[in-house]
Amino acid sequence: MAFIHGKKTFVSLAAKNLSAYTTTSQMEKNSDSHDVTTYGKDAHVFSGGLLGGTGTMSGIYDSTAVTGPRAVIEPLVGTVVEWIRQPEGAGSGLPQDKVQALVLKYTETNPVADMVTWSCDLQLSDVINSTAQAA
Amino acid sequence: MNLASLMQEIATRLGTVPGLRIHAQPPKTITPPAAIVSYPESVQYDQTYGRGMTRVEALKVWLVVGIVTDRAGRDSLSEYVSDEGEKSIKLCLEDYEGETWDDLTVASVEFDVVTIAGVDYMAAGLTINLACQGTPAA
Repeated sequence: MAFIHGKKTFVSLAAKNLSAYTTTSQMEKNSDSHDVTTYGKDAHVFSGGLLGGTGTMSGIYDSTAVTGPRAVIEPLVGTVVEWIRQPEGAGSGLPQDKVQALVLKYTETNPVADMVTWSCDLQLSDVINSTAQAA
Repeated sequence: MNLASLMQEIATRLGTVPGLRIHAQPPKTITPPAAIVSYPESVQYDQTYGRGMTRVEALKVWLVVGIVTDRAGRDSLSEYVSDEGEKSIKLCLEDYEGETWDDLTVASVEFDVVTIAGVDYMAAGLTINLACQGTPAA
Protein backbone atom coordinates (compact mmCIF):
# COMPACT_ATOMS: atom_id res chain seq x y z
CA MET A 1 0.00 0.00 0.00
CA ALA A 2 1.19 3.50 -0.74
CA PHE A 3 -0.26 6.95 -0.66
CA ILE A 4 -0.56 8.45 -4.09
CA HIS A 5 -0.10 12.09 -4.99
CA GLY A 6 -2.79 13.67 -7.13
CA LYS A 7 -0.31 15.34 -9.48
CA LYS A 8 0.20 12.04 -11.33
CA THR A 9 -3.45 11.83 -12.36
CA PHE A 10 -4.13 11.50 -16.08
CA VAL A 11 -7.39 12.56 -17.72
CA SER A 12 -8.47 12.62 -21.34
CA LEU A 13 -11.70 13.41 -23.11
CA ALA A 14 -12.42 12.23 -26.64
CA ALA A 15 -8.81 11.01 -26.85
CA LYS A 16 -7.43 14.49 -26.04
CA ASN A 17 -5.05 14.61 -23.07
CA LEU A 18 -6.21 17.38 -20.71
CA SER A 19 -3.86 16.55 -17.83
CA ALA A 20 -1.57 19.55 -18.25
CA TYR A 21 -4.54 21.92 -17.86
CA THR A 22 -6.28 20.10 -15.00
CA THR A 23 -6.02 20.67 -11.26
CA THR A 24 -8.94 18.63 -9.94
CA SER A 25 -11.00 15.73 -11.23
CA GLN A 26 -13.61 13.51 -9.69
CA MET A 27 -15.51 10.41 -10.75
CA GLU A 28 -18.56 9.38 -8.77
CA LYS A 29 -19.99 5.90 -9.24
CA ASN A 30 -23.48 5.37 -7.89
CA SER A 31 -26.50 3.14 -8.10
CA ASP A 32 -30.25 3.46 -8.10
CA SER A 33 -31.84 2.12 -4.96
CA HIS A 34 -35.23 0.46 -4.90
CA ASP A 35 -37.28 0.22 -1.73
CA VAL A 36 -38.53 -3.37 -1.57
CA THR A 37 -39.92 -3.15 1.94
CA THR A 38 -42.96 -5.35 2.49
CA TYR A 39 -45.56 -5.66 5.24
CA GLY A 40 -44.23 -7.10 8.43
CA LYS A 41 -40.81 -5.43 8.23
CA ASP A 42 -39.56 -3.15 10.99
CA ALA A 43 -37.06 -1.36 8.72
CA HIS A 44 -36.73 -0.41 5.07
CA VAL A 45 -35.22 -2.99 2.79
CA PHE A 46 -33.44 -1.87 -0.35
CA SER A 47 -32.32 -3.47 -3.55
CA GLY A 48 -29.71 -2.12 -5.91
CA GLY A 49 -30.69 -0.91 -9.35
CA LEU A 50 -29.01 0.46 -12.41
CA LEU A 51 -25.52 1.80 -12.06
CA GLY A 52 -24.67 5.36 -12.96
CA GLY A 53 -22.31 8.13 -12.23
CA THR A 54 -21.07 11.62 -12.76
CA GLY A 55 -17.72 13.24 -13.28
CA THR A 56 -16.12 16.63 -12.99
CA MET A 57 -12.84 18.13 -14.12
CA SER A 58 -11.48 21.61 -13.60
CA GLY A 59 -8.24 23.43 -14.07
CA ILE A 60 -6.39 26.37 -15.49
CA TYR A 61 -7.42 27.77 -18.85
CA ASP A 62 -4.88 27.56 -21.65
CA SER A 63 -5.25 29.19 -25.03
CA THR A 64 -3.45 26.39 -26.87
CA ALA A 65 -5.36 25.78 -30.08
CA VAL A 66 -6.67 22.28 -30.72
CA THR A 67 -5.52 20.76 -27.40
CA GLY A 68 -6.45 23.45 -24.85
CA PRO A 69 -9.52 22.92 -22.64
CA ARG A 70 -11.70 25.40 -24.49
CA ALA A 71 -10.78 23.98 -27.89
CA VAL A 72 -11.38 20.42 -26.74
CA ILE A 73 -14.37 20.58 -24.40
CA GLU A 74 -16.59 23.40 -25.62
CA PRO A 75 -17.48 21.71 -28.95
CA LEU A 76 -18.28 18.49 -27.08
CA VAL A 77 -21.06 19.89 -24.88
CA GLY A 78 -24.16 17.80 -25.51
CA THR A 79 -22.28 14.88 -27.00
CA VAL A 80 -21.21 11.50 -25.64
CA VAL A 81 -17.48 10.81 -25.81
CA GLU A 82 -14.92 8.59 -24.14
CA TRP A 83 -13.59 9.80 -20.80
CA ILE A 84 -10.45 8.18 -19.40
CA ARG A 85 -9.18 8.78 -15.90
CA GLN A 86 -6.05 7.20 -14.45
CA PRO A 87 -6.05 8.05 -10.73
CA GLU A 88 -2.45 6.92 -10.16
CA GLY A 89 -1.11 8.16 -13.47
CA ALA A 90 -0.05 6.24 -16.55
CA GLY A 91 1.73 2.93 -16.16
CA SER A 92 1.39 -0.77 -16.73
CA GLY A 93 -0.97 -2.38 -14.22
CA LEU A 94 -2.12 0.90 -12.73
CA PRO A 95 -5.87 1.48 -12.39
CA GLN A 96 -7.89 3.13 -15.11
CA ASP A 97 -11.55 4.02 -15.55
CA LYS A 98 -12.75 4.28 -19.12
CA VAL A 99 -16.35 5.25 -19.78
CA GLN A 100 -18.60 6.97 -22.27
CA ALA A 101 -19.75 10.30 -20.85
CA LEU A 102 -22.23 12.97 -21.83
CA VAL A 103 -20.56 16.39 -21.62
CA LEU A 104 -23.16 18.36 -19.68
CA LYS A 105 -21.45 21.64 -19.05
CA TYR A 106 -18.29 23.62 -19.78
CA THR A 107 -17.63 26.70 -17.62
CA GLU A 108 -14.96 29.39 -17.73
CA THR A 109 -14.32 31.63 -14.73
CA ASN A 110 -12.31 34.83 -14.91
CA PRO A 111 -11.26 36.26 -11.53
CA VAL A 112 -9.67 39.68 -11.78
CA ALA A 113 -6.62 38.79 -9.71
CA ASP A 114 -5.83 35.26 -10.81
CA MET A 115 -5.63 32.91 -13.76
CA VAL A 116 -8.66 32.06 -15.86
CA THR A 117 -10.05 28.67 -14.85
CA TRP A 118 -12.35 26.13 -16.48
CA SER A 119 -14.56 23.31 -15.32
CA CYS A 120 -16.55 20.56 -16.93
CA ASP A 121 -19.46 18.38 -15.75
CA LEU A 122 -19.99 14.90 -17.13
CA GLN A 123 -22.81 12.38 -16.93
CA LEU A 124 -21.55 8.82 -17.22
CA SER A 125 -23.26 6.77 -19.92
CA ASP A 126 -23.22 2.95 -19.75
CA VAL A 127 -20.89 0.86 -17.61
CA ILE A 128 -17.39 1.84 -16.56
CA ASN A 129 -14.51 -0.26 -17.83
CA SER A 130 -12.16 -0.39 -14.84
CA THR A 131 -9.61 -2.77 -16.31
CA ALA A 132 -6.06 -1.90 -15.26
CA GLN A 133 -3.79 -0.34 -17.84
CA ALA A 134 -2.15 -2.74 -20.24
CA ALA A 135 1.60 -3.23 -20.44
CA MET B 1 10.80 26.51 -16.49
CA ASN B 2 14.37 27.68 -16.25
CA LEU B 3 14.69 30.48 -13.67
CA ALA B 4 17.91 31.92 -15.10
CA SER B 5 16.40 32.15 -18.60
CA LEU B 6 13.28 33.75 -17.19
CA MET B 7 15.19 36.37 -15.17
CA GLN B 8 17.38 37.08 -18.18
CA GLU B 9 14.37 37.57 -20.47
CA ILE B 10 12.80 39.99 -17.99
CA ALA B 11 16.07 41.93 -17.86
CA THR B 12 16.31 42.00 -21.65
CA ARG B 13 12.77 43.32 -21.88
CA LEU B 14 13.49 45.95 -19.22
CA GLY B 15 16.35 47.10 -21.40
CA THR B 16 13.77 48.67 -23.72
CA VAL B 17 12.75 51.12 -20.98
CA PRO B 18 14.71 54.36 -21.35
CA GLY B 19 17.17 55.52 -18.74
CA LEU B 20 17.86 52.41 -16.64
CA ARG B 21 20.95 50.29 -16.09
CA ILE B 22 19.68 46.73 -16.07
CA HIS B 23 20.99 43.91 -13.88
CA ALA B 24 19.67 40.42 -14.62
CA GLN B 25 20.57 39.28 -11.11
CA PRO B 26 21.46 41.03 -7.82
CA PRO B 27 24.78 42.82 -8.55
CA LYS B 28 27.75 43.59 -6.29
CA THR B 29 27.34 47.30 -6.79
CA ILE B 30 24.57 49.52 -8.11
CA THR B 31 24.84 52.82 -9.87
CA PRO B 32 21.42 54.51 -10.01
CA PRO B 33 19.26 54.77 -11.97
CA ALA B 34 19.10 51.00 -12.13
CA ALA B 35 16.70 48.08 -12.31
CA ILE B 36 17.66 44.81 -10.67
CA VAL B 37 15.91 41.55 -11.45
CA SER B 38 15.96 39.58 -8.21
CA TYR B 39 14.86 36.12 -7.17
CA PRO B 40 11.22 35.12 -6.69
CA GLU B 41 9.76 34.38 -3.31
CA SER B 42 8.85 30.89 -4.48
CA VAL B 43 8.46 28.56 -7.42
CA GLN B 44 5.31 26.44 -7.26
CA TYR B 45 5.60 23.18 -9.20
CA ASP B 46 2.79 20.81 -10.15
CA GLN B 47 0.08 23.42 -10.52
CA THR B 48 -1.71 21.07 -12.91
CA TYR B 49 -1.55 17.30 -13.47
CA GLY B 50 1.58 15.85 -15.04
CA ARG B 51 3.83 18.85 -14.24
CA GLY B 52 1.82 20.83 -16.76
CA MET B 53 2.22 24.23 -15.14
CA THR B 54 4.74 25.96 -12.88
CA ARG B 55 4.08 29.25 -11.12
CA VAL B 56 6.77 31.75 -10.21
CA GLU B 57 5.48 33.78 -7.29
CA ALA B 58 6.57 37.23 -6.19
CA LEU B 59 9.62 37.73 -8.35
CA LYS B 60 11.06 41.12 -7.47
CA VAL B 61 12.32 43.82 -9.77
CA TRP B 62 13.97 46.58 -7.76
CA LEU B 63 14.23 50.11 -9.10
CA VAL B 64 16.77 52.44 -7.57
CA VAL B 65 16.43 55.80 -9.26
CA GLY B 66 16.95 58.93 -7.23
CA ILE B 67 17.96 60.37 -3.88
CA VAL B 68 15.19 60.25 -1.29
CA THR B 69 15.04 64.01 -0.87
CA ASP B 70 15.36 64.78 -4.56
CA ARG B 71 12.17 65.93 -6.27
CA ALA B 72 13.47 64.91 -9.69
CA GLY B 73 14.14 61.44 -8.30
CA ARG B 74 10.57 61.20 -7.09
CA ASP B 75 9.24 62.26 -10.47
CA SER B 76 11.47 59.81 -12.27
CA LEU B 77 10.55 56.87 -10.03
CA SER B 78 6.91 57.78 -10.44
CA GLU B 79 7.19 57.32 -14.19
CA TYR B 80 8.71 53.84 -13.82
CA VAL B 81 6.06 52.59 -11.38
CA SER B 82 3.19 54.18 -13.30
CA ASP B 83 0.67 52.03 -15.14
CA GLU B 84 0.90 54.31 -18.14
CA GLY B 85 3.58 55.97 -20.23
CA GLU B 86 6.68 54.86 -22.12
CA LYS B 87 8.67 54.29 -18.93
CA SER B 88 6.02 52.15 -17.23
CA ILE B 89 7.64 48.90 -16.10
CA LYS B 90 4.21 47.32 -15.74
CA LEU B 91 3.25 48.09 -19.32
CA CYS B 92 6.68 47.13 -20.61
CA LEU B 93 6.46 43.65 -19.12
CA GLU B 94 2.73 42.92 -19.39
CA ASP B 95 2.44 44.04 -23.03
CA TYR B 96 5.23 41.69 -24.05
CA GLU B 97 4.73 38.06 -25.03
CA GLY B 98 7.42 36.17 -23.18
CA GLU B 99 9.13 33.06 -24.45
CA THR B 100 9.86 31.68 -21.00
CA TRP B 101 6.45 32.40 -19.51
CA ASP B 102 2.81 32.20 -20.59
CA ASP B 103 1.45 34.93 -18.38
CA LEU B 104 3.05 37.75 -16.42
CA THR B 105 1.37 40.13 -13.98
CA VAL B 106 3.03 43.03 -12.22
CA ALA B 107 0.87 42.75 -9.13
CA SER B 108 2.12 45.48 -6.80
CA VAL B 109 4.92 47.82 -5.87
CA GLU B 110 6.41 48.60 -2.46
CA PHE B 111 8.81 51.35 -1.54
CA ASP B 112 11.90 51.44 0.64
CA VAL B 113 15.03 53.46 1.23
CA VAL B 114 18.40 51.93 0.36
CA THR B 115 21.78 53.41 1.21
CA ILE B 116 24.46 53.25 -1.48
CA ALA B 117 27.89 54.74 -0.77
CA GLY B 118 26.44 56.66 2.12
CA VAL B 119 23.60 58.18 0.09
CA ASP B 120 19.94 57.33 0.70
CA TYR B 121 18.12 56.38 -2.48
CA MET B 122 14.44 55.73 -2.94
CA ALA B 123 13.82 52.18 -4.12
CA ALA B 124 10.69 50.58 -5.53
CA GLY B 125 10.18 46.82 -5.44
CA LEU B 126 7.81 45.51 -8.10
CA THR B 127 6.21 42.15 -7.33
CA ILE B 128 5.73 39.99 -10.40
CA ASN B 129 3.78 36.74 -10.69
CA LEU B 130 4.31 34.43 -13.65
CA ALA B 131 2.63 31.33 -15.00
CA CYS B 132 4.94 29.07 -17.01
CA GLN B 133 4.76 25.80 -18.86
CA GLY B 134 5.98 22.94 -16.72
CA THR B 135 8.01 20.02 -17.99
CA PRO B 136 5.49 17.25 -18.60
CA ALA B 137 6.36 14.02 -16.81
CA ALA B 138 7.71 11.27 -19.07
